[in-house]
Amino acid sequence: MSTLVVLTIAAPLVAAAGGLFWRGNTVARDAITICGLAVAMICAFVVLAEVNDSGTHVVHVGGWQPELGIVLVADLLAALILPVALAVIFVVEIFAIGQRRTVWGANPELSGPLLCVLTSGVSLAVLTGDLFTLFVAFELILVSSYVLLTNQGRPSQIRAGMTYVVMNLFASALFLFGVGFVYAATGTVNLALLTERIPELSDGVRIGLGAWFFVVFGTKAAVFPLFSWLPDSYPTAPTTITAVFAGLLTKIGIYAMIRFHTLTQMDDLGSTMLIIAGFTMVIGGLGALAQSDVKRILSFHIISQIGYMLMGLGLFTVAGIAGAIVFLIHNMPVKTVLFLVGGLIENDQGTSTLDRSGGVASRRPVLAVLFAIPALSLAGIPPFSGFVAKLAVIAAAIAEASVLIVVAALVAGALTLLSMAKIWLGVFWGPPASEITPVSVPRRYQKTMLGATGLAVCGILVISAMSGPLFDLCVRAAEDLKHPASYVSEVLS
Amino acid sequence: MKPNQAPAIQLGIRVASPLAIVVGVYLLFAGHNFPGGGFAAGLVFGAVAILRTIAGLQRPRGTTALIACGVLMVTVVSFLPILWGDPLLDQRVVTFDLPLLGTIKTGTALVFDIGVSIIVVGLVAAIINGLSASQPTQGAGQPTQGAPQ
Repeated sequence: MSTLVVLTIAAPLVAAAGGLFWRGNTVARDAITICGLAVAMICAFVVLAEVNDSGTHVVHVGGWQPELGIVLVADLLAALILPVALAVIFVVEIFAIGQRRTVWGANPELSGPLLCVLTSGVSLAVLTGDLFTLFVAFELILVSSYVLLTNQGRPSQIRAGMTYVVMNLFASALFLFGVGFVYAATGTVNLALLTERIPELSDGVRIGLGAWFFVVFGTKAAVFPLFSWLPDSYPTAPTTITAVFAGLLTKIGIYAMIRFHTLTQMDDLGSTMLIIAGFTMVIGGLGALAQSDVKRILSFHIISQIGYMLMGLGLFTVAGIAGAIVFLIHNMPVKTVLFLVGGLIENDQGTSTLDRSGGVASRRPVLAVLFAIPALSLAGIPPFSGFVAKLAVIAAAIAEASVLIVVAALVAGALTLLSMAKIWLGVFWGPPASEITPVSVPRRYQKTMLGATGLAVCGILVISAMSGPLFDLCVRAAEDLKHPASYVSEVLS
Repeated sequence: MKPNQAPAIQLGIRVASPLAIVVGVYLLFAGHNFPGGGFAAGLVFGAVAILRTIAGLQRPRGTTALIACGVLMVTVVSFLPILWGDPLLDQRVVTFDLPLLGTIKTGTALVFDIGVSIIVVGLVAAIINGLSASQPTQGAGQPTQGAPQ
């Protein structure tokens, strides 16, 4: 079991090293990358099954006591998020193998290995049981993301990359300071110990720490008003890179927030979080409506969706947190697929601008279906997973009688639907655009990309079909977070 | 970036390089119990690479392979213990006697540290290579270059 947990971090790292060794040999490189990611993903699914059966599993790195060393904690929350995240990356890598043969693709020699490093960082961030290792994991993710984002060296990428790097470095610095503050105040950075020690601090210090980390994770998660780096930088990267970033990076920020703020019982920050969540949702939705490019619309949606997760967390009830977790699980694949389809549209039309494309529904009906399913899911139309997720979050808010946030959530939902309709009208309906220059992609690779997207859509359908049992699991995970006694005893035993 | 070919600088760097490498090796071994370690050693080795590049003495090559090598070493050493049931990142300590040097106590952590320093050297060398390249060149050690068009 420990081996499985560790392999989710190790396998991608080994694959990254192997991919660098054989970077000249396309087949070997792609095979190594895919194998590494597949091993990690399968391990994550087995870990989920095991944790579901036999409860939290803790790995003491180096055999050190949890007070001194690093612990990896596979509790239900981590075990739920990890397989989804790794499956998303796996699918994107399959897509990328096709896409790297086109001019839109990322530099193949580096993007594969770097994606593996990023995967390893994601696994570590999800599994880690202490704040400093979380910082290291964030850095692992961010440093590889800096390179992935700017790797092609186009002027627009460098320009957007600057904002991205500066904002994230600043947040990282704040994170490091925050870890220092926590250590100064409590004498530990281990989350299980913090669960006991932070509530004992005086109110000022406790809320100060909570607010500090809210800003840190909020910047990574792109909540209002710290989101400015996101919609400019994401659309400039190659499709596959954007898809991974959109599906995972902001979500890892929210994940860290869910873990830290519930375990340390920062309920006092709840109302602040709700206000910010409301603004994040509505402003993200309005921003999306104002755009006229598929990728930019989708980028603004990332922000809007983050608002829902924050709203679930801000309620600080079991139902709310469970809603946030289920939203997280629903949103990762949906967001990624939408960006992948955006990439396919770009290949088909030569552009992702709305007014220069059109008629895709008649030319490529498969693409239209692949877009429609995640788009409807994102907008929260039953029977897709988005409906369950939104319902869970909104029902939790109604139970707490938070009327304003419910209104904000419904307005944001309508805005999402509107902007999805805007993409649909602009790209899929109407007469074919007068002058389109499709990117020439050999049929084989086109099939690879379509297949990967189809696979991900199937994943979304599976999540939708299983949303009942999934939601029960999320409620259990939320209960564990809300009553961390078992988490603490498992880690410290 | 044009290499600075001034003879005084070249000579100075020629003399300084072996000394710096000795300092780096010292840091690498001292790092287990005292200030230093693989990262610091890697930076010192990297500084040598930078100086030699600037002086036009040589250009680092094969940097990407170096990084891959380091990553592989680090990962393997960290995860091997799991195979025989020890915790992740556990280390084996070995003690043995050598003529002249006396009793040596070392462990698998040393391999980890060497791996780290190899990664750092590779990275620093790759960066200086990237910065000093006047135009995108093909091949190794150009991680900041190479848009595929």
